[in-house]
Amino acid sequence: MARKPKKNRFIGIYSRKLIFFGLLLVVLTGYWQYNSYKKISADVVGTEFAEESVNTQNINVVISKNGDYTVDGKSGGKLKTVDNFKELSFKVTDKPKQYIESLVVTVKLPEPVADATESKILAIHGVDTSFVKQIDLETIEYSAYGISTMATITVIAKLPKSAISEPFMTKVLDSLSSFNFNFWVIIAIILPVLTLIYMIFFTSFQMRLNHVDQPDHETNTPPMAIPPALVGVLYHQDVGAREVSATLIDLAKRKDIIILDRDRGFAFGKGRFDNRLLAFEKILLSKIFRDNITSEQKYIEERIANHLYSKKMSIVSAGIYSLATRLGYFRSNPRKVHAKFRLFGILAFLAGAGGFVLSYLLPYLPAFTAFFWVGMMISALIVAFTASRIPLRSQLGNEALSNWLSFRKYLSNSEPIEYNPEVYSVFEQYLPYAIVLDCEAAWARRFEKHNFVMPEWFLSDKAGLGMDEFCLALFPIVSYVGRSFAAIREPGFE
Amino acid sequence: MNDFLKKTLYDGGIFFDLTKWVLLVVIIIILVNSFWVSIFIVDGVSMEPTLHDKEIVIYNKAFSRAGKLPERGDQVVVKYPGDPEHKKYVKRVIGMPGETIRVYGNRVYINNKVLKEEYLAYGLEIDQPGEWKLKDKEYFLMGDNRPNSNDSRYFGPVEQRFFMGKATFIFIPRFMSIDPPTYNL
Repeated sequence: MARKPKKNRFIGIYSRKLIFFGLLLVVLTGYWQYNSYKKISADVVGTEFAEESVNTQNINVVISKNGDYTVDGKSGGKLKTVDNFKELSFKVTDKPKQYIESLVVTVKLPEPVADATESKILAIHGVDTSFVKQIDLETIEYSAYGISTMATITVIAKLPKSAISEPFMTKVLDSLSSFNFNFWVIIAIILPVLTLIYMIFFTSFQMRLNHVDQPDHETNTPPMAIPPALVGVLYHQDVGAREVSATLIDLAKRKDIIILDRDRGFAFGKGRFDNRLLAFEKILLSKIFRDNITSEQKYIEERIANHLYSKKMSIVSAGIYSLATRLGYFRSNPRKVHAKFRLFGILAFLAGAGGFVLSYLLPYLPAFTAFFWVGMMISALIVAFTASRIPLRSQLGNEALSNWLSFRKYLSNSEPIEYNPEVYSVFEQYLPYAIVLDCEAAWARRFEKHNFVMPEWFLSDKAGLGMDEFCLALFPIVSYVGRSFAAIREPGFE
Repeated sequence: MNDFLKKTLYDGGIFFDLTKWVLLVVIIIILVNSFWVSIFIVDGVSMEPTLHDKEIVIYNKAFSRAGKLPERGDQVVVKYPGDPEHKKYVKRVIGMPGETIRVYGNRVYINNKVLKEEYLAYGLEIDQPGEWKLKDKEYFLMGDNRPNSNDSRYFGPVEQRFFMGKATFIFIPRFMSIDPPTYNL
């Protein structure tokens, strides 16, 4: 049955990613707008007269021993800690709907500390008179008269700290508030620095355990017949651009694909596609070819650019890691170990982001604590990024790598290769290994004195290419495709 | 690993990868806006002729943390002590801690000496006379448009803890720095 062609998605981006970026834009725009229109009043004196009026309003405020206060029996809030006193700041009225002839607020203190309590009434925007008087040692009375509909009246009482028995959490929050701005900024710097130092020491320690000495001899044949990508992951401990590039050349060398270099751009052609292909190679090829025999540069670029991430490339790298782990080169699958660290980093990052938001939303949290959460987020990023550097090679992996380093020594030797009729088949044969062992240029230089014969799997518009031109034509193609494919692996793939 | 955890890990990875830098940049902007530099739009005419209605002004939030105290003549952004959550004002510092301020006969006296203010419009009438003795960390604030300003004459001296920052630059439309005035005291 013919496969139904996939519908083209809108500008090549999955809808949920489009929604995500849309929401992000809305949030940023909203924040900008909020900031733009935040107004600071150069306030003028104002009064307004209402037709209706209220004669008298009496309000009773009772402060309890634990620092909570009630207004006419209903919960009003908590006293704030300011320096060495506890402050009641109660906004009695703000632009009342009616003109009020007189307003009396009676504040009942938790202890007889009225003498030691500083009290004032703030009355603005059209209040005839206002004053405060002490009724007895536990009661203070605030009065205001002739209150317009524009008025704002606030009563303030600063009680000695000893008059209130604070709950434990309030004491903790007060202690946090007592640290100044610089303390929190230093915390925001120290946290990531300590995390970085820890990760560097941890990784260095693991590297020392996994240290492989540079061999003093060279071997002129690969120590074992394994795909170049596996050699790459053994050497770099990561599946990156070089591993993908080397796999492409290896596939070409095995006649599974043909690489075309033309004036109008590069292309890949299908070769024999036999049963000897490994699972990760099949998936890599399915990323390059769909139903077509040749895959043009434009088509490959579209496939790279159409999606932010590629599940296929995640499966390719997972396949390489699994194969290397199954061969015993790693103590445990590096992808899974790195994923655990990454998960920890992601959770810490999101927790930090949540804490940051809460430090702004919850008024009783000291504002400077935001710096602590920022420090936590940066630390989380450090963990997430450095996790992939933790070496996990096994003893067997170290021994195998040591053998491959002997071979690398041969590949990067500066002596030219002696001519024989098979010389170029040797060049082709070992080129993928030279790429994953970071020495393809040195390897190519060993052949520069011989007449060059172009490999069968590389077709070019240009005639008579020498070794230099061949390398200059091939390497950018495979490097571009390898780099682009390696970069679009899904970050959350497990 | 159950499906839910797998999905969380997968979606979390994507979210993390897409947002990490954007989130950090947004957070840095918020931090700078909260603790170092911010802008405000003047709402009203009480600071005329120095600040005009609807002007966009940059203010420095870090000036008091740098160990510097507000100085006479500084144009400061303060929270109104009676409603610090909602009402913010821009006013000029006139009286410093420990001083006695007297407003009388269209003049301001600091410790019984007349304060000469060259930035005021000519012929202004100053109402709401009175005398205030400033305590430690208390400042007396006034708008430059004295007949039309709701300031310390009405709500009393303002404690330093209510100061949010110092206006330093008129960004739009005049694009000019705000220089401190000189006084005769």
